[in-house]
Amino acid sequence: MLLILVLATFLLLELASGDAVDAYLVSSGGGDANLVAQMRQHYGLDQSVLARLWIYLAALAHLDLGWSLAFDRPVGALIAERLPNTLMLMGAALALSFGLGSLLGVAAGARPGSLTDRLLSVGSLALYAIPGFWLGLVLVLFFAVDLRWLPGSGIETIASGKTGLARAADIARHLVLPVAALGFIYLALFLRVMRSAMAEVWRLDFVTFAQAKGLSRRRIVWRHVARNALLPLVTMLGLQAAAMLGGSVVIESVFAIPGFGRLASEAVAGRDGPLLAGIILVSAVMVIAINLAVDLLYAWLDPRIGAGHAS
Amino acid sequence: MAFLRRYLRSGAGMAGLLIIATIALGAIAAPWLAPRDPLAIAGPALLPPFTDARLPLGTDRLGRDMLAGLIHGARASLAVGLAAMVAALAIGSVVGTVAGFAGGLVDEALMRVTDAFQVVPRFLLALAFVSTLGPSIGTVVIAIALGAWTEPARLVRAQVLSLRERDFVAAARVIGMHPAEIAFREILPNALTPALAIAALIVAAAVLIEAALSFLGLGDPNIVTWGTMIAEGRNLLRTAPALSLLPGLALVITVLGIYLVSEGIGDALERRGRTTP
Amino acid sequence: MAVLTVSRRLLLQGTAALAGLAALGLRAHAAGGGRLVVAADSEPKNLNPAIVASNGVFFVASKVIEPLAEASYTGENGLAPRLALSWEGSSDGLSVTFHLRPGVTWHDGKPFTSADVAFSALQVWKPLQNLGRTIFADLTAVDTPDPLTAVFRFSQPTPIQLIRNALPAVTAVLPRHLYEGTDIATNPANVQLVGTGPYKFAEYKPGQYYRLTRNDAYWDTGKPALEEIVFRVLPDRAGAGAALEADEIQLAAFSAVPLADLARIAKVPGIKVIPEGYEGLTYQLVVEINHRRKELADLKVRQAIAHAIDRTYVVDTIFLGYATASTGPVPKNASEFYTADVETYPFDVARANALLDEAGYARGANGVRFSLKLLPAPYFNETRQFGDYLKQALAAIGIDAQLVNNDAAAHIKAVYTDHAFDLAVAPPVFRGDPAISTTILVKSGLPAGVPFSNQGGFVSAEIDAVIAQAARTVDTGARTQLYKTFQKLVAADLPLINVAEWGFITVARDTVENVASNPRWAVSNWSDTALKG
Repeated sequence: MLLILVLATFLLLELASGDAVDAYLVSSGGGDANLVAQMRQHYGLDQSVLARLWIYLAALAHLDLGWSLAFDRPVGALIAERLPNTLMLMGAALALSFGLGSLLGVAAGARPGSLTDRLLSVGSLALYAIPGFWLGLVLVLFFAVDLRWLPGSGIETIASGKTGLARAADIARHLVLPVAALGFIYLALFLRVMRSAMAEVWRLDFVTFAQAKGLSRRRIVWRHVARNALLPLVTMLGLQAAAMLGGSVVIESVFAIPGFGRLASEAVAGRDGPLLAGIILVSAVMVIAINLAVDLLYAWLDPRIGAGHAS
Repeated sequence: MAFLRRYLRSGAGMAGLLIIATIALGAIAAPWLAPRDPLAIAGPALLPPFTDARLPLGTDRLGRDMLAGLIHGARASLAVGLAAMVAALAIGSVVGTVAGFAGGLVDEALMRVTDAFQVVPRFLLALAFVSTLGPSIGTVVIAIALGAWTEPARLVRAQVLSLRERDFVAAARVIGMHPAEIAFREILPNALTPALAIAALIVAAAVLIEAALSFLGLGDPNIVTWGTMIAEGRNLLRTAPALSLLPGLALVITVLGIYLVSEGIGDALERRGRTTP
Repeated sequence: MAVLTVSRRLLLQGTAALAGLAALGLRAHAAGGGRLVVAADSEPKNLNPAIVASNGVFFVASKVIEPLAEASYTGENGLAPRLALSWEGSSDGLSVTFHLRPGVTWHDGKPFTSADVAFSALQVWKPLQNLGRTIFADLTAVDTPDPLTAVFRFSQPTPIQLIRNALPAVTAVLPRHLYEGTDIATNPANVQLVGTGPYKFAEYKPGQYYRLTRNDAYWDTGKPALEEIVFRVLPDRAGAGAALEADEIQLAAFSAVPLADLARIAKVPGIKVIPEGYEGLTYQLVVEINHRRKELADLKVRQAIAHAIDRTYVVDTIFLGYATASTGPVPKNASEFYTADVETYPFDVARANALLDEAGYARGANGVRFSLKLLPAPYFNETRQFGDYLKQALAAIGIDAQLVNNDAAAHIKAVYTDHAFDLAVAPPVFRGDPAISTTILVKSGLPAGVPFSNQGGFVSAEIDAVIAQAARTVDTGARTQLYKTFQKLVAADLPLINVAEWGFITVARDTVENVASNPRWAVSNWSDTALKG
């Protein structure tokens, strides 16, 4: 499967107009024919796509992700440098949308059809329908420019000399707005899943039984319903991981965060085959890993355990 | 049409339908509502809304009519969404049907390809595809469809697998129908219903992806879409907020409408599920 | 009395508080260390200005690595000395002598000598640099009779006027001791720069920033004024304005703040808009034409297109007044060369239509005469907006233009290698002399694949002859005259259409002093730029 991805990446860049040298010439202000030919040779772009693919795969067999043409550095090092920022951004955004989304979902699903339910459902949908970059810009203008509460760009204060906890706090401050921009978008999904899952569970026997037993509504919601509704939520978590990785491309560009998503768009702009292949491979592996983790979580949260516990 | 009756009973579905119908009507009537090319320069640049009766919503950075842009943008945005949805469903159902019906090695191979597409972030795929092959309405549609066909494919395959052994398929086989004929004439229509619920979501996602691509400068300059309007207006969020607010609002309402429709479809399907177990 | 005492106490308290505040303010400033944070929108992978002569590289590198001379508003021939104090050319055009500045050291403490200049010229500018390859094509040797004299020897007459005008852009001097005997193109010093300039290269955090720190041993005693300059990478163009308003950066050059936002941001307290400081880096808005298309090979069609463009609209609406309408291939602010005595093409749709009718391209049933593929360069908002406008302007004269929106790599491949365009919108730079990067846009005989050159298949023996003659004319007056002829020929023949020319805009906080102190300010060394306390 990963091989398919590498093949597809090379094929796509082969079909593309312009190569890494063309991309370089744009930023360098030109050059003459000899220089261009020299550069193509230097980067091995004068070889056939099959030859380049073979070299790439041979290196990959040794877990070497190759050499980035656009950055003139090893792909592995580049990814290692950018990935943590994106993981922080994604992790925090997932936590936000998952946490707040399911909480609001409980509030909405506790009394289906109520005014709260309707307001929350429509409101979160509206958030989902706002393009991420636009939400990001508005957040920057309001919180960074007008109120000056939070920094509007970058991942940390430049050369602040901060270390340890102070640095962590600094990074956290810089992440508030981008996490909000990314997290609020996906909030709706978790809210809706939680809400409909709860509606489903309300009808199940053991809940009716619990109601008959005279347990309070609040208690039923928290002890039984919400807990059982967690399952589809966790599934959603796995599904959304890939989407968020994609969404971070735009958010990282708005907030000037040196992350994985921006690296991807730089790789595309620079026609950097090895870097793009590396990024796609790593993100695929990440998505697979997240889904594996979700499967494990799923097993741990198995409904029979929950139901057995309730009865 | 029992399905339609069930659908109309859903409140969300009705609201969504109303929104989408209004916007679709506007989109269809665009050539009559705003007969001029929406890309034509119609007046002074950056005219604020509600200052000139001839240009009720004002003009953009180059003096193009905002109202005409919104109306024609509806057309383009919905067209991109629908086209991407149709393409994704088409690829998905063909792959799903073939995989489910053929089984064995073919199934295995097709599902690995599906896996490969599913683990790559959809937007990354679209970005790479459009920026290397050049932004045009065609590549944008294909790029979005490429990221969206996997879910319908899995769904259709699962349906096909469960339907394959049922009576009417066996009957078709007995009367000597070709396997491919059985696949596409008997199984596919049955498997399509659940895929429809996903369809609305694909349209909504497509409209948003198109907007994000435009933000990164990868829109088709020969047509107006809401995405390009928002992307161009974002530089002037302070000076002329209407430039990105108006198309943004249109986008939000449309996507909201599409979601409500998908909800309606979901409700209707669910009711059927309960009445005919 | 009681009242008085109270008020005096209040007064005293007030003064103390004020003093405290002032002290706080001072300390806050000192803690900032006089750090100027500047927006940067690109991260060149090779930051060496001696190899890559481009404004994106100069923007950062010019503070670290210096040229022999810099552009100046007041200096003789528009130049101010940097690493060279004076220069003179021989009358036969076969040599140029540079007298170098004494007492200059590299950032690593080694002395700067004529050997560094000789090495840079022969090993870097001539063989490796994008612009230097043409200017120093005939350079055969650099004599170094003493450590402060460098004599350039040419095999063919090379005009001193050209060398002079090229000094700011193409003569960044590299330290020989770090480059000699290495692979120059991949030397680590191409990123970790070592120069003689007012700032030393401190660090580069990819995707985040470049940081430069004060060079205490700078030859211009007492300078620079700042402790640090940080170039903060802000990839989204809408980001620079917000970052300025939030005081996260103090300066955004190269029109990083969109033109349409300038009128508003100029009114924000604490922010100023500065349109000066780019006179030596004039960008030109040009319509490139593919003369291989039968219709476009017809002069009447090109004239019609030139008449169809409303330059007033371009200047007032697209550039919001921050541009000038062009008459030909040399911008008006290059007063040494410019002539207004050329054919002009006033906005006249009726005339354009008549020309097309004359040329035999009647309108079809749908009102269209013929269709074209139009490729606007994606590098600037304005080139794209002009593309949008040009499509409409062409529609008015019955030419249907299909816009193709490529990214940068695809654009230069399509235009300069594959010739897969009919019209293109390009923003070439005029760098002080037509021979540096302007004549290449018109002259014939260049192989495919040379970016930012004539790839439209235009051939004019007459224009080629003038360009060749000017390249060998040592006498400044005669050479200037030849370029006036060149402008006339280009305006008459329209190998390309010059629409407008513009300089960029700097937006800065009020606290930044000495902005725009020379005509290439954004890409000069900023040794006098300071932050108000």
